[in-house]
Amino acid sequence: MNLPVNISVRPQLALQSYLDALLQEATEQVLPEPVEQPQPEPEQHQAAALDEFQAAVLEEQARDAAVATVAKALSSVAPIEAPAIVAPAVTQAEPPRAERVEHKPAAIERVEAVVDVHLPAANHGVPPRLTGDGRPAWAAEPFECLLFDVAGLTLAVPLVCLGSIYSLQGHELTPLFGQPEWFLGILPSQGGNLKVLDTARWVMPDRYRDDFQQGLQYVISVQGYEWGLAVHQVSRSLRLDPNEIKWRTQRGQRPWLAGTVIEHMCALLDVAELAELIASGAVKQMQSVKPAAKHKK
Amino acid sequence: MNKSSAQGSEDPILQWVTFRLDNESYGINVMQVQEVLRYTEIAPVPGAPSYVLGIINLRGNVVTVIDTRQRFGLAPVEVSDNTRIVIIEADKQVVGILVDSVAEVVYLRQSEVETAPNVGNEESAKFIQGVCNKNGELLILVELDKMMTEEEWSELESI
Repeated sequence: MNLPVNISVRPQLALQSYLDALLQEATEQVLPEPVEQPQPEPEQHQAAALDEFQAAVLEEQARDAAVATVAKALSSVAPIEAPAIVAPAVTQAEPPRAERVEHKPAAIERVEAVVDVHLPAANHGVPPRLTGDGRPAWAAEPFECLLFDVAGLTLAVPLVCLGSIYSLQGHELTPLFGQPEWFLGILPSQGGNLKVLDTARWVMPDRYRDDFQQGLQYVISVQGYEWGLAVHQVSRSLRLDPNEIKWRTQRGQRPWLAGTVIEHMCALLDVAELAELIASGAVKQMQSVKPAAKHKK
Repeated sequence: MNKSSAQGSEDPILQWVTFRLDNESYGINVMQVQEVLRYTEIAPVPGAPSYVLGIINLRGNVVTVIDTRQRFGLAPVEVSDNTRIVIIEADKQVVGILVDSVAEVVYLRQSEVETAPNVGNEESAKFIQGVCNKNGELLILVELDKMMTEEEWSELESI
């Protein structure tokens, strides 16, 4: 039985920090001077929280600047051709004498989708990518979004980019050794083996805590990809007008972040970009690795 | 990929010996398995690499035993009644791999094997050949030849 972990220690702070970082990034070319944050209450704990908040924002900016520098340096490096791998010849071997032991593994059923959220688009499969002005193609007119929570942060994802929602209740992810930390494991589902990523580690890597992995309740699959996002709560859907979204014009550093919705205090994820980033193998240069560890539900 | 049976068909059936490590099931090509031994005392070798547990005497032959858990990035555990040493042939060498238990031989169609996610930089990720659902479980298929680098195989040979 899973009980949601108490991850609401600093949700508001996390959200504020996160949204502020995004907004700062989106508006930094327009506003030469940083905008001061309002301080509603002069109490001591509020001041401490604000310090932490500002530190988080600075940390976020420093990280972005570092990533931009590395990306610029990498872009000037000529691609290296991968060496050809020659399969070793098969040699004859004796027939096996594998023993049968009494171990009876617990059968894991393929998890069924709680709900299929994908809305039929004009062309099925992978949703179209970005348009010329930086907005995703699905944002040309008002669109439906699903809101969900990850470690106290509310995120919105357009339904057109989503496949199905799978409950993790009673199911466990199978980890694979040698994979990056953000790879939680594989979830056998009706739609095939779903590769599940640790959403919190992607969207808030600098403020990540290991206990964020506890209490994950659902996996939301990305339409057209074999990847899914592990989330703590699925809340509701809402219809967003593209004009109420603060779009990120520069997607370079975090292409999966489409923008922010101030009215709903949430970040809008472009999960198709995220899945494409992973599928393309471009994420290999931005990861650290941990040993495989069982993630039980 | 090695084909152990039904090689003529377009979708060959492959045989895999399955073993368990840390509650996960792994499969290795049956053609590379020579035998499965109950746990026997492993004599440590001074100066050997960390992934080498030691050597055993197999009917007069010295066989090096690899610490599979260490290789897979898993924490060590105590030896149990189910612990086995699987004698395999990989990279033209005969070595033993220590596993928590050996389960069975399963038949898998080539088409049932899915590729593993290709997102890891870690060396160990390279020896995951694929994954497959079998008997309600996810089986991780291991490519033994890639379990060591060429240098490590050479190192093993000199032990």
